[in-house]
Amino acid sequence: MSQSEPLLPCFWKDNRLTAVWAVAALAPVVAAVAERSFALLVPLVLVLGLAGLWQVAFARLRNRVMGWDGIVTAMIFVLLVPVTAPLWQLGLSLSFGLVMGDLVFGGRGRGFLSPATVGLAFLLFSFPEGGAAEPGMATTLAAVGSGAVLLAASVLSWRVVAGFFIAMAALAVPWAMPDEWPALPGATLILGLVFLIGDPVAAACTNAGRWAYGLLAGALVLLFGHEGGGILSSMVFAALLASIFAPLIDQVVIWANIRRRARRRCDV
Amino acid sequence: MEFRFRKGRDIDLGLAPASTPVVLRAVRSVGLVARDFPGVSFDLRVGEGDLVRRGQVLCVDRLHPDIAFVAGAAGRISQTRHGARRRIEGIEIATEGDEESQFSVEPARTDDAALRALLLRSGAWVAFRSRPFGRVPAPADRPSAIFVTATDTNPLAPVPAVVLAPKLDSFRRGAEVLQRLTDGPVFICQAPGPPLAEPGERLRVARFSGPHPAGLAGTHIHHLWPVSSQRSVWQIGYQDVAAIGDLLAVGRITAERTLSVAGPGVSEPALVRAPLGSDLRDLLGEKRSDKDTSATRLISGSILSGREARFLGRQDLQVTVLKKREEAVPARALLWGLLARLPRAAIGATLPSEGFERVFPLDLLPTPLMRALAVGDVETTERLGGLELLEEDLALLSWRCPSGSDYGALLRHVLDGLDEERAA
Repeated sequence: MSQSEPLLPCFWKDNRLTAVWAVAALAPVVAAVAERSFALLVPLVLVLGLAGLWQVAFARLRNRVMGWDGIVTAMIFVLLVPVTAPLWQLGLSLSFGLVMGDLVFGGRGRGFLSPATVGLAFLLFSFPEGGAAEPGMATTLAAVGSGAVLLAASVLSWRVVAGFFIAMAALAVPWAMPDEWPALPGATLILGLVFLIGDPVAAACTNAGRWAYGLLAGALVLLFGHEGGGILSSMVFAALLASIFAPLIDQVVIWANIRRRARRRCDV
Repeated sequence: MEFRFRKGRDIDLGLAPASTPVVLRAVRSVGLVARDFPGVSFDLRVGEGDLVRRGQVLCVDRLHPDIAFVAGAAGRISQTRHGARRRIEGIEIATEGDEESQFSVEPARTDDAALRALLLRSGAWVAFRSRPFGRVPAPADRPSAIFVTATDTNPLAPVPAVVLAPKLDSFRRGAEVLQRLTDGPVFICQAPGPPLAEPGERLRVARFSGPHPAGLAGTHIHHLWPVSSQRSVWQIGYQDVAAIGDLLAVGRITAERTLSVAGPGVSEPALVRAPLGSDLRDLLGEKRSDKDTSATRLISGSILSGREARFLGRQDLQVTVLKKREEAVPARALLWGLLARLPRAAIGATLPSEGFERVFPLDLLPTPLMRALAVGDVETTERLGGLELLEEDLALLSWRCPSGSDYGALLRHVLDGLDEERAA
């Protein structure tokens, strides 16, 4: 089927969506560099280069135009990794996340996992000794700003965010937040929510499903925290588990929709 | 019945012709294009060089020879265009004279079979589109309901209430007649305001308001009378209903339609009255240099669901004039220009977004539907309600989706496959 240029230029034409997403990820990176000195730049450059390399490699392999979203994955990955992790661990984990979480499926939008989540989960699982660094106030504010931008662009679903906080607030009563967690929602929590749990590829893709997915993710984070996980590993594994359940949630919503419409057709 | 939608999106393309006086346009040529009728193959009844009257049969459907396609204007057949396998793609008439066909309408006033025969013979039948599949209905079909679309939310579309104001009697007569084609209800779907026709036992008036696609037949049918593989409905435009009313009153076809000619490429939006299938270049009217003409793109239909064409499409009530090279919506900043230079796949993957639900006021799930269409999964498309839709219903989703897929074209592919399967 031949594809002609549409008469009305696409709302997200060219690489605009990736650009908005990259700008949103860049803000906390800049804030974190300002806060944590330039030591952060070394791993950043490493993972950015590595992400570009993998994307070029897969584009060549598949004879396709390369995507740019690996850059965003790399930035989020660097923001959230434990500061003590050596560089080779970072490179290995990011490569695993990008390739197994995204590129083997054919690129962004064709898989069902967020590559940053997969990479972080791999890192935390394989090299559990690293201690997470809780970024400071500036990063938190930048992350909140990024979240607002992505919400406005409806890349991030407000239903997921609302569901997440509702579940956390409701479950904080029976399962008190672990003491070592920051009292206010910290940068790790916000970044994880906006970029890992809120990644539209990983999240459910129906409106009802987004509520369920947000609630599930919020509950899982608190459950893992309650069982003694650190905030980073709780966020990452909650994001991973929730995104594995997202297709099932969507399927339930689809079944309900089909049943409802069938019943409505009988009524009128 | 009243429906108010919040979901949807009105695309701003500048001024629409609200209630400017209607200008009559004489056109030099009219055309009949096979692309307007998916599933129909033309069987010629005239030859190149013949003189035809307005309303004379030009060709019929090979499968259903009762379905006639008639001349929108009197003149001489200047060209019959053939495509692959000698399939007739279009017929062009150079307008000449003013002769017209006369139809005997007496029997049709009381006899239902005669009414069908009259509509078929006079070319009025092909104004109907059936759902599912969006085809011209077969002559013996009896739909479970008929939908008259008397509201239009397409960008720059004419306002039906304004267009119908001088034709209300014809419209009401036409709506009465439609009831004889179905055992079910006839829905008049209109914008809020006084009813365009007196509601009766089977004639129902439903009001729809909100942003586009609140004015599309697909939206109306989904909310009032959802179709399936077991249940079909017909849809017809308001001007075609008025034309049927005229036909039954005077026995001559009304081939003229009131069209909106607007867009960034014209200085003044205008309401124009011109025959079906008019050459779009003749509709612009104003004296135009060759430079002007080559700098514009003429779209038959709206910017969302229309296509660049030479002749007015059968169902289209508007001409959108765009400037060439310049985009319809001006690019804003240097940054975007830079981004446009970066390589990017022509067709990417769908990235789900709440934005899809926000422009889709139907109780269907846009993202799963778009994914099913993108991979050509016929069965899932059908389960997710694809049979309720036609190309135009997905236009906003194609616009909003970052992948660059044309979901309307993908849906047409799926519908054609399903229809063939059903026929076999």
